[in-house]
Amino acid sequence: MRLRYFAVSLLSLAAATAGAQSAKSAKSPELRVDFTKETLPNGLTVIYHVDHSTPVAAVLLWYNVGSKMEQPGRTGFAHLFEHMMFQGSKNVEKGQHFGLLEAAGGRAGADINGTTNQDRTNYFEQVPSNQLELALWLESDRMGTLTQTLTKEKLDNQREVVKNERRQGVDNQPYGTWGERTGEMMFPDSHPYHHSVIGSMADLSAASVEDVQNFFKTYYAPNNAVLVVAGDIDVPQAKEMVRKYFGPIPRGPVPPKLASMSLPATVGREQRVVVQDALAPAPAVFVAYRVPSAKDKRAQAVSLLARVIGGGASSRLDESLVRRQQLATNVTGFNFGLADGADMLVFIANGKPGSNPDSLERALLAELAGASSFTQAELDRARAGERFSFVDGLQSTGGFGGRADRLAEGWTFFHNPDYVNTVLGDIDRIKLADLNELARERLVPNNRVILVFVPAKKTASENSATRAN
Amino acid sequence: MRGNLHTQKTFALVVGAMLLPVSAIRTQTVTPPPAAPLRPYVFPSVEQFQLPNGLKVILVEKHTLPVVEGRLLVDAGAMRESAAKSGLASLTGSLLSEGTGAMDGAAIARAMDAFGAQYFTNAGYSVAAVDVVALKNVFPQALELAAKTVIAPSFPVGEISRVKNRALANYQQAHARTAGLAADAFIRAAFDSSAPFSRPASGTPATITPLTRDDVVNWHRTMYAPSAATLLLVGDLTPAEARSVAQQAYGTWSGTRSAPATIENPIRPSSGTRVILVDRPGSVQSSVIIGQAGFRATDPDYLSMVALNHVFGGGFSNRVNLNLREKHGYTYGANSTLDLRPGSGAFRVSSEVRTNATDSALVEVVNEYKRIVGEPIPMTELHGSVNNLVSGFPSSVQTVQQLAGRIQQLIIWGLPVDFYATYRERLAAVTPEEVRTAATSRLTPNNVIVVVAGDLSKIEAPIRARNLGTVEVWDVNGNKVR
Repeated sequence: MRLRYFAVSLLSLAAATAGAQSAKSAKSPELRVDFTKETLPNGLTVIYHVDHSTPVAAVLLWYNVGSKMEQPGRTGFAHLFEHMMFQGSKNVEKGQHFGLLEAAGGRAGADINGTTNQDRTNYFEQVPSNQLELALWLESDRMGTLTQTLTKEKLDNQREVVKNERRQGVDNQPYGTWGERTGEMMFPDSHPYHHSVIGSMADLSAASVEDVQNFFKTYYAPNNAVLVVAGDIDVPQAKEMVRKYFGPIPRGPVPPKLASMSLPATVGREQRVVVQDALAPAPAVFVAYRVPSAKDKRAQAVSLLARVIGGGASSRLDESLVRRQQLATNVTGFNFGLADGADMLVFIANGKPGSNPDSLERALLAELAGASSFTQAELDRARAGERFSFVDGLQSTGGFGGRADRLAEGWTFFHNPDYVNTVLGDIDRIKLADLNELARERLVPNNRVILVFVPAKKTASENSATRAN
Repeated sequence: MRGNLHTQKTFALVVGAMLLPVSAIRTQTVTPPPAAPLRPYVFPSVEQFQLPNGLKVILVEKHTLPVVEGRLLVDAGAMRESAAKSGLASLTGSLLSEGTGAMDGAAIARAMDAFGAQYFTNAGYSVAAVDVVALKNVFPQALELAAKTVIAPSFPVGEISRVKNRALANYQQAHARTAGLAADAFIRAAFDSSAPFSRPASGTPATITPLTRDDVVNWHRTMYAPSAATLLLVGDLTPAEARSVAQQAYGTWSGTRSAPATIENPIRPSSGTRVILVDRPGSVQSSVIIGQAGFRATDPDYLSMVALNHVFGGGFSNRVNLNLREKHGYTYGANSTLDLRPGSGAFRVSSEVRTNATDSALVEVVNEYKRIVGEPIPMTELHGSVNNLVSGFPSSVQTVQQLAGRIQQLIIWGLPVDFYATYRERLAAVTPEEVRTAATSRLTPNNVIVVVAGDLSKIEAPIRARNLGTVEVWDVNGNKVR
């Protein structure tokens, strides 16, 4: 199972009914997300998807920029920039992006938001369908004019907000640093996935208004984005609005080529770190492997592997560590879905308070060492879970992982907006041999990063012992 | 009750009124485009029927995708357990999935995973829930298995200790976080010690540890009965299909239960603001909660409180978030919640604020509390906020899970299940005077509970210096340390 808030967008009623009848046959493409695509003269790709089942319209943009484009010493920049996109533009005062959308009926958070990951930055708003034009106008205004109203005061404010976001998600949480530690160990120093999306406090402090302006000029242009307009829309009318608001925005320069993302199939050594965590009430072990990326044809096999080993309540780790040995209270397995070069497949086991971290680690590694001879029943269960998750995500038009998000993902990563309609087929095509081969090739000691979190009495949450081999 | 036509006009007017002042106060090169006519929205019809054994069934049809949810709610939540057995309802709810007939927990998990179904059993404060969401073609079988785990759980001996250990671990994990510490301290301070909601819903180590299999079996036998339960069916089912799957899954369930007592949940009287501090050394942020107990969905001013809460701390453009985040940069976010419960719930503002700004953030929230009571809410602000709720409602019920969640709340709150058919019209009709009355009659800014969990070595002295009220330092169990 892939760690994605992303699911998909809108399905027609007839298609859905057909899906209901034939889902059991497990031979997919009954569920279809229909769309039309056009490219404006300034290079903006636009995808339209119609769904009249609820009177809402979703506007969603994926900019082809993520933390992997950041330069050394400027980590966290893509995400800090995303915050600045909500601080007003030429015709929109600070506070009015949210103010206007919320007064129009957009729900902050679920329906109006922006997110940044290693590979892309997205912005979306789902509004009552009679407010489509407002949403398009707001997105076009910030795409066209953001830097005209940037001030140091706004930047300083959002820099503080992002630092608070980091405290809330990382520094003030038990085990909070596991994600950035894993990335740093999994990817070489020079690799664009080496550093975390939220970045370092020091780099955030160093960001200047000029940096923000340069970042905008480099990456925020119509030719580096895809716009999805979905939901209760009239396509000719929506096309007219899109041309009116986005048409005049000039094409930007071609963004710089990404540093090389390619990596050997395996890391080549085992790395292990023990973290003395003063906030942790119980031991926890995190094991991560380098696996094929989301753009690789084995991507669905990676998701299924995560699910077979640590996904559902009947996964191997659940049956062994939680039920049989009772060493872990909770286990999980997922992959990040990183797009280029390589992805990370992660397994987590949470121990009981007061329990021995070594026993937990040994049991987890032993189970992972034996994971290369799965049964057909295990694969079938994982496949059923993946299929359900995919369809479940399609219930929403916009927002996190709705149909609009899936359409944008397909275009940004695969230049294929029809990607959403191929996912179920890809899940169905994975054979037991694919799963076993992937496990044999990648779930090996010299391809893993082990983090052992141990409750510490001290007040600082610094890591102490390091044992790399 | 107003008709749809009138409603639409009202909504459109609200938006127009909201936009005008925005463009009037500044010279814009371009003004925001106007709204088109609002398109109609009708909440899905809610059909009710009863099985011969007394089980109430509620069907909400949603045919856009072949997805169906079946959520059984049993009036066997933690609010029905004694203080001495705190955690029993939750433990029993968690153990339903661990065995029925010849199937052990692992076999149930494998079967549900083979369906690709999302399945869980648990119990919170108000209800125990057994939930299954699946694609339509496998839904009847998945529901039938879920029903077996409710009707005839085997509660295997070996699973009792394992699930208890998990409950103990979950308690420790929650209380290793400032948010968990603050939440517990708030309910202890806000409610009388006799109130179920003064206790953590899943119990504490002291009450979980002595629970036995006999306790669990007895709780299930006395509390779980069709007459004390409601089955929500939401999604791609026709009424005929709903009757068929409900009868097939739950038709054999028998048993009776006497009518339950009314939940009182008394609040803790206090005269003046109390400031309660809980230490969590090494914290770079503090969790703060400011609020008061005493709100029900059945109150006549419920919708006024909904509007008031949204202005104060709902969505993004609310007073506390704009103040603490966008103006001062103290936090990643701040909001308020109208947390309604049978008997009485609570209104509270919550935020995670950086350690060295904790005292300043408290002062800002208390000042906002005073301002919303002391000054009428400007019309544009109130209209914008109410319209956010009214016009944003259809988007909030797009999935079967969202629909089921809404209906579940109505059942817990004791509101009619057709409540949402006219919700938007009634919310849009709330007047500024009604909101003003709710603010002045219900909120007491000089008599609130302030809870802070964080690094007291850094925040206690600055907070004391602010003189917000009586300051107490509590340990994790609610005992006063100083």
